[in-house]
Amino acid sequence: MSELQDTARRLLDEGLVQVVIGWEEGPRGARPVFVTSAADCERLIFDARCVHNLATFLNPRRSQITALGKAAVVVKGCDAKAVAGLLREAQLERAGIVLIGVRCGGVAGEPATLAPPALSAETVSARCWGCDVREPESVDMLVGEAQPEPPVTADLDERVAALDALSPAERFAFWTKELSRCTQCYACRQACPLCCCERCIVEKTEPQWIETSPHPRGNFAWHLTRAQHLAGRCVGCGECERACPVGIPLGLINRKLQQVVYELYGYTVSEDPAVPAPIGAYATDDTQDFIE
Amino acid sequence: MSERALLLTHDGLATLVEELAAAGTPAVAPAWAGDAGRAAGASAAARETEYRTVSGAAELAFGERLPRLSLKQFFLPPTEVLFSWRRVGGGVELIPPPTDFAAQVVLGARPCDAAALPIVDKVMNWDYADELWNARRAATTVFSLACGVEDDSCFCSAVFLEPAAARGSDGRLTPVDGGYLVETFSDKGEAFVAAHRESFTDLPAGAGGEVLAVQAESFRATARERVAGNLAVDHGRLRDWLDHHFDDPFWAGLGPRCNGCGVCASVCPTCHCFDIVDEPESVGRGVRRRNWDTCQTCVFTLHASGHNPRQDQNARFRQRVEHKFLVYPLKFGDVLCTGCGRCSRACPTGQDLAEILADIDARAAIDAGAGAVGDEGAADEAAS
Amino acid sequence: MSVVNQPQRSGERAPDDSGRATAEFEPRITAFVCNWCTYTGADLAGTSRLHMASNVRIIRLPCTGRIDHVFIVKAFERGADGVIVSGCHPADCHYTAGNYHARRRFGVFRELLSFLGVDPERLTFSWVSASEGGKWADVVNETIERVRRLGPFDSYHGLAGAATPADDPFARFEMPAGATGGTAAAPADGHDAASQAPSGTGDAS
Repeated sequence: MSELQDTARRLLDEGLVQVVIGWEEGPRGARPVFVTSAADCERLIFDARCVHNLATFLNPRRSQITALGKAAVVVKGCDAKAVAGLLREAQLERAGIVLIGVRCGGVAGEPATLAPPALSAETVSARCWGCDVREPESVDMLVGEAQPEPPVTADLDERVAALDALSPAERFAFWTKELSRCTQCYACRQACPLCCCERCIVEKTEPQWIETSPHPRGNFAWHLTRAQHLAGRCVGCGECERACPVGIPLGLINRKLQQVVYELYGYTVSEDPAVPAPIGAYATDDTQDFIE
Repeated sequence: MSERALLLTHDGLATLVEELAAAGTPAVAPAWAGDAGRAAGASAAARETEYRTVSGAAELAFGERLPRLSLKQFFLPPTEVLFSWRRVGGGVELIPPPTDFAAQVVLGARPCDAAALPIVDKVMNWDYADELWNARRAATTVFSLACGVEDDSCFCSAVFLEPAAARGSDGRLTPVDGGYLVETFSDKGEAFVAAHRESFTDLPAGAGGEVLAVQAESFRATARERVAGNLAVDHGRLRDWLDHHFDDPFWAGLGPRCNGCGVCASVCPTCHCFDIVDEPESVGRGVRRRNWDTCQTCVFTLHASGHNPRQDQNARFRQRVEHKFLVYPLKFGDVLCTGCGRCSRACPTGQDLAEILADIDARAAIDAGAGAVGDEGAADEAAS
Repeated sequence: MSVVNQPQRSGERAPDDSGRATAEFEPRITAFVCNWCTYTGADLAGTSRLHMASNVRIIRLPCTGRIDHVFIVKAFERGADGVIVSGCHPADCHYTAGNYHARRRFGVFRELLSFLGVDPERLTFSWVSASEGGKWADVVNETIERVRRLGPFDSYHGLAGAATPADDPFARFEMPAGATGGTAAAPADGHDAASQAPSGTGDAS
């Protein structure tokens, strides 16, 4: 903890950054914090409740944050992949940010507990399943002690496979029920580090491609589009699902598309911004089994 | 209203719910969101509850976790049709929606959710009487369930309510041994009890009845005490501070954490803003709908010119606080908040309204103490 | 705005499509095709007087690379039972690589639609060149037969009606079956909705 705080203090003291984006202890558990003075660095924490993907706050459209000055941001492995996504898509300049990596052995499903829970198959976040990044590599500095692998939790792939095994009509019924709860509040979009468009397609009205009415028809159009626009970009941080106020299992859709881009195009999301994302690139010998 | 209180036993409640279902009267109640919630030892996530129309007592989740969304959805649905239209010959025919809603009853509403209804009534009948809202209000009888307080994010007692507030309720249930003590506060509540009298039982005469009455009062007093420690603010000085600190640097501290998603507004029992959209349903026909909207999104105030009067999240979050605690009270005499704490619980980034109100109140106290209300420079110095 | 211009249907239809028996069901197919290859190929099929079903309404776009997935979603929303996406063969794209980009996107989108429960049998992706009029006729006929077997896509068309059954006055009226003729002019059957409305919605008549 003090290593993280000392690092942040040094960055602010030396004027290398004007704000450190990390986590603090809030009234309901861990939450993001924006530290602008060295004296406040003692607020910084990192433990298993620090689930938020802080790359979300690097969206250059968030002028209330860019106004604070050059930022250092504390990143876990999944956060670092999201930062790589923003760099890949030229949303950020690498020299414009400082990345403080933290070694991570998995996070809890919920940040809102007063003390960090012991991680177990029950408490660990579904997002940590299959995570291969104990320490991010693309960072400027790395803090914290070596971490073990996260506890093995419910296999997301098994849940996806269970849905795949159903008939299309059964899957349609499943998603109609789940999506009928959606109120199109767009918390999933806002929590996503890669949903950083200046103007989201759902807010375009000429023509209105996606109906903003939260009936299942509008909700299908919205969630199909959200997922498609994140195919090959989603880092699997699970923030969309956590942010959803009505508990729609968006992680299943994201995981399915991670499988699809891997199976079709051999692509796995990585921390290397130089690797092009699969949508937007192509190979002349791409599979076309589905084309007549 | 009722001359003497009645008792609704657990069996009586089950009978009532079944009777309503059999009669086709929708009974909205807190219910388990998933099947798993009922199981003993179910995880916290599995114990989520929601308000919905129930058909059996097994679905009921009385006294469990606060439902995910407030009661608002039954009066202002997330999407509703304002009218349908179709082209007929050379003209357009408008088909208004029916406003003859069938009677429904809410059983076990949180008092903070019930209290939101008369508060929102004011804006819904301000410069225009909203027929759909009013018709649903008229068709609905609300029985609240005295609340045992959810957690430290509750602050109903800081916004002129309490965990068993009667406001907005036609009747109230309070947990006692064997069931619920029933009181009615309106003709509607009285009529509902009269119509289903066989589900209710008389309180035992004499000491037995008094014991239950004491139990009920004790339950309410414990809850009152429990919530009182969460937050206390002086609304007069809070309003003064808000009125004079539109450009205070304080707001720049709130925007960065905010995702701008508006989950807070979705789950809020009092947030009532809506967007109006036209949707074609086919060639020559379509519907006009209104959908929930929120001041927390960047497009809420975006002008066609590209200018946005609320340029960043600092301004948008200030709007949320000012509308609820300055503008609405000045215009309608009510704080636009019932202290349910859902916004704090649902916020993906930990923005906490109770904490923010306490912070502003502390600043306001310093201002008031310094006699510096209206002097922003002095206030800022004092606050920092 | 209507994206899909629906084909004319003969005979009486039940108000909500649910009464359409599979035997007499004529699928509505929307085809999004590229200007340079498939559109010209379809033209050739026509001028060659090849026999093919008339259920397909073609929407011409510059390139398969221009075909956004929301076009497909909108087609289903507006009453299509099946969708065809077709363009130039690989290495034949007028814009060099538009079809390669489309191939990647639709490879993913097809899987996504399937995961959310839209039977991929309702979708046809094909390469049809300007000289392949015969192939176009085959693509059309095969797609129609497949979709005919699956039946009308009422579950998708009715999604908005299912949202608020009790509160949605539109639910009492005819759902958009789309048989309003080939033009956007006022439908001749403009009064059918009112005649289908149950009593009690006196405002409609």
